[in-house]
Amino acid sequence: MDIYLDGMKAIAPELVLTALALVTLVADLLMRGRNSRFIGYITLAGLAVVGMMLAMRVGAEPQTVFGMVEVDSFGTFFKLFTVASVAVVTVFVLSDRSERKDGIGEYYFLLLGAAIGIFFMVSTNHLLLLMLGLELLSLASYSLAGFHKGERKSAEAAMKYVVFGGLSAGVMLYGISLLYGLTGTLELDVMATQAGNAMPFGLVPQLDHNVIPVAIAMVMVLAGFAYKMSVVPFHFWTPDVYEGAPTPVTTFLAVASKAAGVAALLRFLGALFMTEGVQPVVEWYGDRIGMLLAILAAVTMTLGNLSALRQSSLKRMLAYSSIAHAGYILIGVATLEPDGFSAAMYYMAAYYFMNLGAFGVLLYFESAVGSDRIEDLKGFGWKAPLISITMVAFLVSLTGLPPTVGFYGKYLLFKAGIDHGLSWLVFVAAINSVVSLFYYFSVAKALFLSEPAQRPALSQPLFAALLTGLGLLTIWFGLMPGSIEEFVQRCLLL
Amino acid sequence: MALGAYVAVSAALFALGLVTIAARRNILYVLFGIEMILNAANINFVAFNRFNGDGMDGRMFAIFVIILAAAEAAVALAIVLNVYHLFGSTKPSDADLLRE
Repeated sequence: MDIYLDGMKAIAPELVLTALALVTLVADLLMRGRNSRFIGYITLAGLAVVGMMLAMRVGAEPQTVFGMVEVDSFGTFFKLFTVASVAVVTVFVLSDRSERKDGIGEYYFLLLGAAIGIFFMVSTNHLLLLMLGLELLSLASYSLAGFHKGERKSAEAAMKYVVFGGLSAGVMLYGISLLYGLTGTLELDVMATQAGNAMPFGLVPQLDHNVIPVAIAMVMVLAGFAYKMSVVPFHFWTPDVYEGAPTPVTTFLAVASKAAGVAALLRFLGALFMTEGVQPVVEWYGDRIGMLLAILAAVTMTLGNLSALRQSSLKRMLAYSSIAHAGYILIGVATLEPDGFSAAMYYMAAYYFMNLGAFGVLLYFESAVGSDRIEDLKGFGWKAPLISITMVAFLVSLTGLPPTVGFYGKYLLFKAGIDHGLSWLVFVAAINSVVSLFYYFSVAKALFLSEPAQRPALSQPLFAALLTGLGLLTIWFGLMPGSIEEFVQRCLLL
Repeated sequence: MALGAYVAVSAALFALGLVTIAARRNILYVLFGIEMILNAANINFVAFNRFNGDGMDGRMFAIFVIILAAAEAAVALAIVLNVYHLFGSTKPSDADLLRE
């Protein structure tokens, strides 16, 4: 009984979040769909509580709860950022001029449900809980993508998402079933550390005799992660879904959902190939997987950047840019070394700031200009100077130029890559960064380097303050990178 | 029966699922294909569990997968119904507003 209560205490943030999701659902039912803004405020208040509970947990002793949930600082790091980004997305929903005022209470329920999925998927070494967390996130995301029921683009986006998502979840599940059959266990650290003399055998005897089945299973499981992170060749859904989904949902998918994929992949690889007492042959196999990831990284960033060059819609351009960024993050992951992982985590932190900001500005432009085409933004920078200058800060950070947080993140990734024999990949990434300069700056050019636009700016003071805050943080952490770096070091698993 | 027979059936079901998804032009058949893949994984879980010792991990996983499949089918069918209302068709090729 005590063990049970202690376990409940350890997963208190998850429980509060679940309770919050149910409260929003019931409150919406009781109010019969009227006054949905109020539900949004409940969501924000609840997320603040969850965030505080998580913040108190940073640096605490790691523990395993119910044999499945790993409560540690690595998970807390990503949970904190998830809570923050869901809160920002909630503010986006509240400020979205194209959204109805009433009858959208489920919006918040679905966002919170997706957050619960993320919470569990980033904090487990057990493949069952990983799969359940991932599917909870996916199911909520499918519904969110199709949230504008009467809109054809939104419906089409949801359909494409559910087909790709269902297929990749099925493939991943089949891969997990093969891994289970080969190793006799669903726990990743057991797979890595068993020597193969008795049940469960672990990976060792299979790597000696059955390398091909192991490789098939691994590739299938990695496909599931690649789909969540939109890594080539599982990126096809990304531009269409990002374009068709309501913009706050796009923000959620591009930021929180992708980061959850990265976090789960880091934990998967960390538990399998870098855990304490890992068998040498398993570690050797990890280097092969690292090589595969490095190749995927190169293809992903190149394809993302080259496709982004041709886009006329800002939303679609940001979608391809998020594919390219998945490639950059994979540099750190592919090293399979602690400093590569910490670089990837630092870059994820930077990614949260700059992409939340960039998509927020996109949402503002959509309501102010009524279009997301880059050419329609011409001269709008003179009408809404504060938000447009903030957008330039986000674009500078996305390109990876100083003095922004994106620069330092890229520096860490490149350094980790060079230190661990991936110089060729860093070279590809550097060329890609130069390519990305062209399309990011086409936006800045449209905003400022043309005649002032006719259309008046839209006054949304609170929303503008939030975006400016994100912009200031992007620059502040670029000037003072030490604070996040220290936080990442404290939270790193290894 | 030997383990190989179960794995062969499940691999065949998985391959059939993939072929259904690739070859059929109707979204409902794509959903059938996804169900086939999920059930192929289920056969694996139960079979491996039987031959892998006395744990219950695989069987538990199979039960969860059944629930997952039901939840996914509910969400997917709701989305397809909405697409049918708006586009008058359940063929992905008829819904092509989102493209380069």
